[in-house]
Amino acid sequence: MSDHPLSELERDVAHMIIDALELEDISADDIDPQAPLFGDGLGLDSIDALELGLALQKRYGIRLDSDAEENRDHFASLRKLSALVAERRTD
Amino acid sequence: MSRADRERHWASIGESGSTAGIRLMLAIHERLGMGVFRAVLAPVTLYYWLRRPLARRASREYQHRLRHFCPGVRLPRLATLAHFTSFGTAMLERILALHGRLDLDRVRVMDRDRLAAAIESGRGGLIVVSHLGNHEICQLLGRLRPELSMSLVMHTHHARRFNALFDDIERPMAVELIEVSDMGPATAQRLQARIAAGGFVVIAADRDPIEQHARRRDISFLGATAPFPEGAFWLATLLRCPLYFLICARHQGHYHVHFESLGDGADPSRRERSTWIATAMTLFVERLEHYCCRYPLQWFNFYAFWHARSATPEQRVPESSGS
Repeated sequence: MSDHPLSELERDVAHMIIDALELEDISADDIDPQAPLFGDGLGLDSIDALELGLALQKRYGIRLDSDAEENRDHFASLRKLSALVAERRTD
Repeated sequence: MSRADRERHWASIGESGSTAGIRLMLAIHERLGMGVFRAVLAPVTLYYWLRRPLARRASREYQHRLRHFCPGVRLPRLATLAHFTSFGTAMLERILALHGRLDLDRVRVMDRDRLAAAIESGRGGLIVVSHLGNHEICQLLGRLRPELSMSLVMHTHHARRFNALFDDIERPMAVELIEVSDMGPATAQRLQARIAAGGFVVIAADRDPIEQHARRRDISFLGATAPFPEGAFWLATLLRCPLYFLICARHQGHYHVHFESLGDGADPSRRERSTWIATAMTLFVERLEHYCCRYPLQWFNFYAFWHARSATPEQRVPESSGS
């Protein structure tokens, strides 16, 4: 259980991650919004990143730019990803 | 990568041949015809054959393995030189094809029904290609079937070379190039958009990826294991689309196009993906072997194919990390 309560949007995005990656043993509240999604934090890998890109498109209509540096930042944590969704959602 | 590794890696060896030299050869073909082109190609090929010991060795190793793998295969005398000549001809054909100057009548689709079914399904798909034969010739097929839209995924490294080749000559016919420096979420989205529109995304699946962290799998090829990139196969499962194999090879003045299914990426569940990928990759490599035996001198991987870095443990790196 995280010490940081999730905003409504963060919870929604967390559900997207869990659904897209079929993370069965994790609930939205288990995800620390500031912890890294990749590597040490949630332990996602490069294939998961592709899958999240597709899920973002499907769920929120977000088209990512090819800028890899920027993507890395957007995918850094649940909070960052939620900020991207808030800013760019077209659904 | 150590220096020695880098020298062995195909990306640094390049495709042998300076852009200026290729332009000159093109001009010769254009102004003086195929006969003179062939006459000039012979000493040029000999020059490269003498000056590229690594490529020559790679050719010899390939032929050695091929002879063991398919004992019936018939190779000419001085087979490595013939192999180099075949490559020189293929370079010309590739450029002619991309400029739409190769006669469509010479292209024979051996698997016409399968190709038609793939197009008509409306699902599009991923097409894995290799450096066996000359898949670029298939760009001509767009003229035969306008609804066959093929986008070619190319690493930035090659796209630069590819574009440099055409800068001063004439722009080739519309080959839709998807330039990729590293496969990341943005690229996955772009590919999905193409496929969702019923298009086909063409991606090479026989060369060791440039990125250190890219996934690869060791698979037995012509009797010994070689590293093959997993990328295209993962993509098929992520994009949940059909996966095809295509080769186009020269045969007695014609170009034979073979088009086969390697499976459907929509079939495996998340948990079954790895197994599905193993099956599809094995099938891909088996088909490669089959066609190597059939078109022995059109294998255009002139580097130490079996000795490239072998599979590394799975690494957890998001897009662009480590670059």
